[in-house]
Amino acid sequence: MAVIRDVMPAFELFQPTSVEAAQAVLDRYGAGAWVLAGGLDSLDWLKDRIRRPQAVVDLGAIAELKGIRERDGGLEIGAMTTLTEVVRHPGVRERYAILLEAAEAAASPQIRNQATIGGNVSQDARCWYYRAGWPCYRAGGNICYADTPDAINREHAILGADRCVAVNPSDTAPALIVLDAQMVIRTAGGGERVVSAEDYFVGPGIDITRMTVLEPGALLTAIRLPRTWAGAQFYFEKIRDRQVWDFALVSVASAMTTSGSTIERIRIAVNGVAARPLRLRAVEAVAEGRPRNEATAVVAANLAVEGAQPLGFNAYKVPLMRNLVKRAIRGVEAAAWTS
Amino acid sequence: MAGTLVGRNYTPPDLVAKVTGRAKYAEDFRAEGMLFTKLLLSPMPHARVRDIDTSAALSLPGVRAILTAYDLPDLDGQERALTNEPRYAGEPILAVAAVDELTAADAVERIQVDLEPLPFVTNALDTLRPGGPNPRLDGNVWGPPPPPREGAPPAAPPFETLKWTTEDFAEEAQGRLPMGKPAEEWSYGDLEGGFAASALVLDETFVVQSTGHHPMETRSAMAYWRNGKLFIHASTQSVAQTRGNIARWVGIAPEDVILICEYTGGGFGSKGGGAVSMSIPALLARKANAPVMMRITREDESYIGRARTNMTGRVKIGFAKDGRITALDFFIVQDTGAYGPLGDHRSAGNAASLIYQPPAMRWRAVNVATNTPPRSQQRSPGPMQGNGIIEPVMTKAAKQLGLDQVAIRRINSPEGKAPFGPVLPSGRRNHVTSAFVKEALDRGAALFDWEERKARAGKRQGSKVRGVGVAVGPHGAGSIGYDSIMTIRPDGRLYVQSGAGNLGTHSMIDLARVAAEILDVPWEKVEVVWGDTGKHLPWTCLSVGSQTTHAMTRANHAGAMDARRKLQEIAARDLGGSPEDYTVGRERVYRRDAPSRGLTYVQAARRAIELGGRYDGHDLPGDINPMTRASATALAGLGLMGVAKDNYGRDGVTYSFVIGFAEVEVDIETGSVRVVDYLGIGDVGTVVNPRSLLAQIKGGSCLGIAHALFQKSVVEPRYGVSLTDRFHYSKPLTILDVPRQMQADALDLPDPETPVGARGVGEPPVGAAYGAVMSAIADAVGEDVFRRAPVTSDIILMSLEHGRRMHEPLRMHV
Amino acid sequence: MSLSRRNFIKGVIAGGAAASSAAYLFRGAGSLFGQTSAPGSVERLLSLTVNGQTRRVDVLKQETLAMTLRYKLGLTGTKIGCDRAECGACTVLIDDVPHYSCSVLTHTVRGRRIVTIEGLEGPGGVLHPVQQAVVDEQGFQCAFCLPGFVMAAVGALKTNPNPTREELAHAVSGNLCRCQDYDKILTSLLRGAEYMRRTT
Repeated sequence: MAVIRDVMPAFELFQPTSVEAAQAVLDRYGAGAWVLAGGLDSLDWLKDRIRRPQAVVDLGAIAELKGIRERDGGLEIGAMTTLTEVVRHPGVRERYAILLEAAEAAASPQIRNQATIGGNVSQDARCWYYRAGWPCYRAGGNICYADTPDAINREHAILGADRCVAVNPSDTAPALIVLDAQMVIRTAGGGERVVSAEDYFVGPGIDITRMTVLEPGALLTAIRLPRTWAGAQFYFEKIRDRQVWDFALVSVASAMTTSGSTIERIRIAVNGVAARPLRLRAVEAVAEGRPRNEATAVVAANLAVEGAQPLGFNAYKVPLMRNLVKRAIRGVEAAAWTS
Repeated sequence: MAGTLVGRNYTPPDLVAKVTGRAKYAEDFRAEGMLFTKLLLSPMPHARVRDIDTSAALSLPGVRAILTAYDLPDLDGQERALTNEPRYAGEPILAVAAVDELTAADAVERIQVDLEPLPFVTNALDTLRPGGPNPRLDGNVWGPPPPPREGAPPAAPPFETLKWTTEDFAEEAQGRLPMGKPAEEWSYGDLEGGFAASALVLDETFVVQSTGHHPMETRSAMAYWRNGKLFIHASTQSVAQTRGNIARWVGIAPEDVILICEYTGGGFGSKGGGAVSMSIPALLARKANAPVMMRITREDESYIGRARTNMTGRVKIGFAKDGRITALDFFIVQDTGAYGPLGDHRSAGNAASLIYQPPAMRWRAVNVATNTPPRSQQRSPGPMQGNGIIEPVMTKAAKQLGLDQVAIRRINSPEGKAPFGPVLPSGRRNHVTSAFVKEALDRGAALFDWEERKARAGKRQGSKVRGVGVAVGPHGAGSIGYDSIMTIRPDGRLYVQSGAGNLGTHSMIDLARVAAEILDVPWEKVEVVWGDTGKHLPWTCLSVGSQTTHAMTRANHAGAMDARRKLQEIAARDLGGSPEDYTVGRERVYRRDAPSRGLTYVQAARRAIELGGRYDGHDLPGDINPMTRASATALAGLGLMGVAKDNYGRDGVTYSFVIGFAEVEVDIETGSVRVVDYLGIGDVGTVVNPRSLLAQIKGGSCLGIAHALFQKSVVEPRYGVSLTDRFHYSKPLTILDVPRQMQADALDLPDPETPVGARGVGEPPVGAAYGAVMSAIADAVGEDVFRRAPVTSDIILMSLEHGRRMHEPLRMHV
Repeated sequence: MSLSRRNFIKGVIAGGAAASSAAYLFRGAGSLFGQTSAPGSVERLLSLTVNGQTRRVDVLKQETLAMTLRYKLGLTGTKIGCDRAECGACTVLIDDVPHYSCSVLTHTVRGRRIVTIEGLEGPGGVLHPVQQAVVDEQGFQCAFCLPGFVMAAVGALKTNPNPTREELAHAVSGNLCRCQDYDKILTSLLRGAEYMRRTT
């Protein structure tokens, strides 16, 4: 409001060419440093003059963070690879098409040309109270403005809320979770740490100011797609208001192998319902070994939304999530109108 | 009137500048020593400025001047560009001019403003509650406008306090709009008798959302002073009529304002006569003694850039078995935001009486102010909101009576000089100049394969169900009485002065097609002069309310006829005979019985200059506007001048109609709606410029579709601040939200009350699409699934899930 | 300023008291005046290749490409509609790929080829085929969004010279128009694709 927007305050800009050099700057500036990947999330904060780093570290010049490589029968995607590069990569298309679908559902073509997959999974919450600079829990305050009787919270969480009711906005996150992707992190000390995509995201109960496990000074360097789910049967769907730009109201991703009509193995994840993308382990357990049909889908979908606690304006997310989980298990029947 | 120019496509002369990036919009101008300004916006929805401490800002290197409300002329209580009593969060309090935006922004943050919070209200109904807060110190509602007095400008309606009783609010719990004492009302016919005689009565409440106009170009402006005159580059929908507004806002004489606006990046009603914020760079430039650029950011625009009024409407309609309406009772609570007043509610009432032709009708309304961003007319102000409130009810009635959606609209539709609105003091009701709605419905139903689509409506395939909808969008479509100036010059060219704004509708160029047609000048020899009050423009209508095509083709018809007459007179004078013996054609004026005897336009132009007087603009008609007089005087002596006021008669009020036909597909597992196909059919008079006309129909339709599907404004109820300050919150339509191909067509039937036959087209498609898409959704998933717009997936899914409507119908700003 | 929303909101929570005493901290690292460089950070002076010409420009660290193009290089054909990657009016090509220039820091495009709407015309003012098609089909109305749409289309046609109507709609879907005859816009850009195939 009264804060001036769209005029970024001054900062120092660093363009290191190695991860080590980048981390040296991050170390030097500490809390005053800001990591810039594609910049779509970052420039928002900076133009809003809400976040005022002293030093911005642009990762765009670090060659080792870019590109998609074969690795152990799977793929390794550099964190600074753009979403468009992910979408166009033949290996992704042939073996991990669900990631293509998810990446292509993000934002707009120009944003996908610039936004990186590392940035997409690491981006901050988009709660409109938080992003407008209101001093909420996530911003270090002691209230959640989206969780009051009057609050306008159509886009907010129905599961796993802990003070904060913001949701994770990433489109690729649920796809990466069902692909059992491994997130390669360079810790502040320079060591490498690999965590599963499922564990990469944290909810407010763990740390209310962060969306991921990345500690200050740490960098996500790559995302590895193991061969585990290559070529499986995939389902991805993102429900949003507008077909461009908008974040998911709810999204769902599943990977499945079947034997005859029986579900052998399944991974299923949703986003837009909690502060972190959720892998639905209980649903997976119920579905595995059962026939892939409406009955299984219904049982699993009902289980998926157990414990959901809607706010004033987001109760629709319960049936929406339930129906999307159902679809992710049994698929959708295509309409065939004669026109 | 159709001929070699009127009714044909052409390439407007401004397109090459547009496609090369050379077209300059307000923020594209630069001036030597130009400063930049940033605004300090109120964080509170209602407050009083107790003190402003600018010392820390002024000590920042590069800061040149600070403008506050004290520097602005008093505007008799009307909205000013800066205020000491902000009435909405986001209202500008002061402006800082500095050497760059960064310095200006840093300076704004150093300013200490001491604000005393005042009571505020964001929901129109809340201020009507017993003991409810008032949005302003002097009340909460606009009263009825005083009756017009002969020769006097229309007086502003009074601002009053109105509270309803607890009993009035009794129906609120049932989701029905409470109907306490209205501030305005009219009625005609036997309402109770009408309901008593009906076979079906529906009584429905509907909430129409507010939406920001959000033209692609914000209201940026740059100003400087030279020799006591203000030069301002700004963005407006009317060059001619903005000059006087700027003069008033700045406190100088209109002739001391030179407004340059050759290209306007959209307005949709939000830049009708300019924007009051234009006075900020003007006054800052004077204070700082340097040019000042004010780049309005998108967030600024979301506060000061205007929005459509939201309306909560309740309508009770009686229907006979055949679908004919027997009585219509319409109640509107309109939210006009922090400033006003606005007349959308009245236009909605008039439009309802026109398109449904009820034999008995009552209209009641309260025009409420709230502490939310200011509203202004937005593309189809009023009729569009009325379409939203009533068209779904028409669709529901059709279902309940077993009638076709097209049929129920057809049987109620206006024809010819159809009456509308209240009974006037004269004892009569107004009527339109013409209406061919039945023809448009028939044409549309055929083009849209209505019967075929209807056959599959309501049937499910997988989780998808389809529905079809139709709606009649009306809007006033033309004013009268404006002026034109044109000159045939010795270079053989026809120069047509155009004071309209250049919004890309090309009505500001189309008007010259009419003149060229009458004078038979080839189009490549026509120069349209526009976009700069220094170029001597005539008094021109605002390019709002679908006026321009109608008003300015009339004015230019009159001006061209004046030029034609003068050509004939000069020929008769030089070559003998009477003027009637001569006609014009192929750039000559010649004897009808001896075409070889005549003068070329070049010769005639020279003769006009020699003769002087009325022929070259030295002697002007007595009835033209002073602005036209000054412009014509400046152009006098350049050639043969056609100059005239539009004095053509008109029996009735001009309205246009667009019929929208929509087919949608709803996914009942997700609530998602996809518009499968859309057709707009115009009953908009003679088609002057086919390609632009169809673009207006399709573009307006898209705005209506966006309103049906997701576009909105949200004001936080507890804190009173706007939340929709970004596009991904307010949701303007994208290219993937509409069918890959849309259809549009027009009847091309001339209006009998205007010489060119053309009526306006910009507004009516909006309400048509809004109503048609919502009717189609209702057709697909049920008439009672929603009672508010936008009809987003959450509304549909929740209602389907629970088998009943689940949203609070009366809640604003969701 | 003393009454940021933060303080106002705190004030409301505290019972409506005026919260005018807590100053909003001025934390900016400085304005244009005296912006200095820390060791190892980028140099302000840089070379930019725009529309085939290399130009030396003094660019602030936080400056976006849209600002540099418009305010430093005078290329005002690139429009700023939202400044937030939400409208596409500022679209330019960077190494042939459409980007929102409002959301690119100028320092990140050193050494890369930038093309703006002003760079499309051929020698002697011959319009680019997509520009010509937009003129022929009268694709746009107010045209404030036009440069962005045209740049997005030109960029997309470099990777897919023969798009279907559906594909081209997706390619320019990151561009917003508020006059909103998207139908005619798409028709004109498709015509542009056709013209391009003819000229190459």
